[in-house]
Amino acid sequence: MSLRTFAIPTWFLAAALYIGTVAPSQAVPSFARQTGMACAACHTVFPELTPFGREFKLNGYVLDNMKQVTGIDTAANQTLALNSIPPLSVMLQVSYTRTNKALPDSAISGALAKDGDLLFPQQVSLFYAGKIAEGLGAFMQITYDGAADHFGFDNTDIRYVHHWSFGGVNGNDHNLILGLTLNNNPTVQDPWNTTPAWGFPYSASNTAPGPITSAKIDNGAGGFGQSVAGLGVYAWLDEHFYAELTDYTSAITGGAHPLDSSQANVVHALAPYWRVAYEQRWDRNSLEVGAYGLTARALPGNGKPLSGPTDKYRDAALDVQYQFIGEDHLFTALATYIDERQTLDASVQDGLAANIDNNLKTLKLTGEYYYQRKIGGSIGYFSTRGSSDPLLYVAAAATGSANSSPNTGGYILEVNYLPWLNTKLQLQYTGYTKFNGGKINYDGSGRDASANNTTYLLTWLNF
Amino acid sequence: MKLHFVLLVLSAAVGLGQAAYAADETIEGMTAAQKAALRKTIDTCTTCHGTNGNSVAPTFPNLAAQTAPYIEAQLHAFKDQSRGDPDAQAYMWGMASQLSDSTISGIAAYYAAQAAPTGKAGDPALIAQGKRLFEEGVPARQIPPCASCHGKSGAGQVVFPRLAGQHAPYLLKQILVIQSALRNAPVMHGIVKDLTKDQIQAVVAYLESI
Repeated sequence: MSLRTFAIPTWFLAAALYIGTVAPSQAVPSFARQTGMACAACHTVFPELTPFGREFKLNGYVLDNMKQVTGIDTAANQTLALNSIPPLSVMLQVSYTRTNKALPDSAISGALAKDGDLLFPQQVSLFYAGKIAEGLGAFMQITYDGAADHFGFDNTDIRYVHHWSFGGVNGNDHNLILGLTLNNNPTVQDPWNTTPAWGFPYSASNTAPGPITSAKIDNGAGGFGQSVAGLGVYAWLDEHFYAELTDYTSAITGGAHPLDSSQANVVHALAPYWRVAYEQRWDRNSLEVGAYGLTARALPGNGKPLSGPTDKYRDAALDVQYQFIGEDHLFTALATYIDERQTLDASVQDGLAANIDNNLKTLKLTGEYYYQRKIGGSIGYFSTRGSSDPLLYVAAAATGSANSSPNTGGYILEVNYLPWLNTKLQLQYTGYTKFNGGKINYDGSGRDASANNTTYLLTWLNF
Repeated sequence: MKLHFVLLVLSAAVGLGQAAYAADETIEGMTAAQKAALRKTIDTCTTCHGTNGNSVAPTFPNLAAQTAPYIEAQLHAFKDQSRGDPDAQAYMWGMASQLSDSTISGIAAYYAAQAAPTGKAGDPALIAQGKRLFEEGVPARQIPPCASCHGKSGAGQVVFPRLAGQHAPYLLKQILVIQSALRNAPVMHGIVKDLTKDQIQAVVAYLESI
């Protein structure tokens, strides 16, 4: 088997993974049921969080205004504090996707697939989202994916939190929250919408072709989301300073267990994730400036034993978020820049990559405006640029790269209408100026980047 | 491995930690459990209404030095859903739904005892116009001076709320929802129903400034 033919399944697998990680799309009515508060308390427009929403999340999802089932021991310590009604909710997404040019048929060479794809559902999710006990809360999601036709364990974040007040005449001039998070997607625990798990776009087509790769911390073909589990600790001081450290390790669901060579992209040992941020709030404004990163060693697997040298990924990112939440007008600006350094000892040894050292630089900029949380839109810019690698990025119809480059860039235009706070009708257009390294014939099969321009219609219901 | 060590130590800190409250917001006759419930509740109030009742965002009113009877009355009105303006429904119906009478009294006593917020500078001409309205009303249209119920300094009395130092956008919205009867306040409705938008903006600018 030649080195080149071996590289194809790795790429194919990455594309398959992309499908499962593209839709970080949740807002949860069970939180509203538990707190008795409208969606607008925690969200500008779901799933983007307001400052209060960030506090709710950092406080462990435990704020409740619901009748409790309680228990105490003989020393009057509380042994149970359970919502009388379980905090369950459902999300339904129905979508229609049309690319500028139909995709190649998956079975007949030279033929094209049906032009336009209706998914009913694109996704159905069941959530347990709310308090479990005093200080202990969960955001847990089980999702049926209409394109893949399977149920899966989706984004999950379980928290345990302690709150301290100290200083000043009343002993409460300062507030400190210390929390533990157990989660399965780096940045799913983050309270800002700049980081990948809850970043823009909040929903996108899962059948249109996606870029050939992404940073490990990002959503997309290369991401670790839902294939790892991490335990972390965070501190939130005076509603200004945030610091977090979470250690991840591989936790792939499905396939061979214990993990073996049939799995791919397996995190080796512990992968530390770090996050620092500062937020300032004034009047109706909030501004956050922060940094985050992930250092991971991974074994390529995919036919190779899960031993020996590893590939090392060092992701470091900056982010800025600004929000204005007026009575009628709401405005948000989001920015993040992710720099990934790859040292691919294992992939080079296995013939899956040509270069030991590669890099990947990702920039995302988003501006959003809403009027009375009813009608609004977003403009997004995205760009990924990285080292060319003839074994890592190979030619394939529609999904590959003819010049072995991952460079992709474009824009997203979105219009949203929310007849109610928990329902969203969305029209989204994604335009590519470059796709997998090229504008013209990027795949070597005559397909241009603009052929992947995607019109996406979505009905998004949360109840 | 240093990072992993730090993680381990911090995890232990969270696991073993106990909340150390120094706040002593009590009312006579409260049991230990009632005091604990009150402390927890005030921590929650702080999220929107700010430390010691001084909020950042004008969506949420300052509660510092607000009169206790007014806070009590409003919390009961949220709890029984008789105050139904949009923000009351969105935020406070839920928040107040499980509060006991003793916790409501404790919250009111706590915020009434806090130092009053200081005024914010604004447009002097608008403030001067607002001051006249506040102190003199609009006799030609039978609008009485606000000061007659809310006090000369706007500090409030009994169930008439403190207005001094309150966020202007919050006060503006309250007058509008009282005008439109979304917020049920029969006495105030009669008084403010004929106020123009300009007059409202002037009086709330004055109140925010003192």
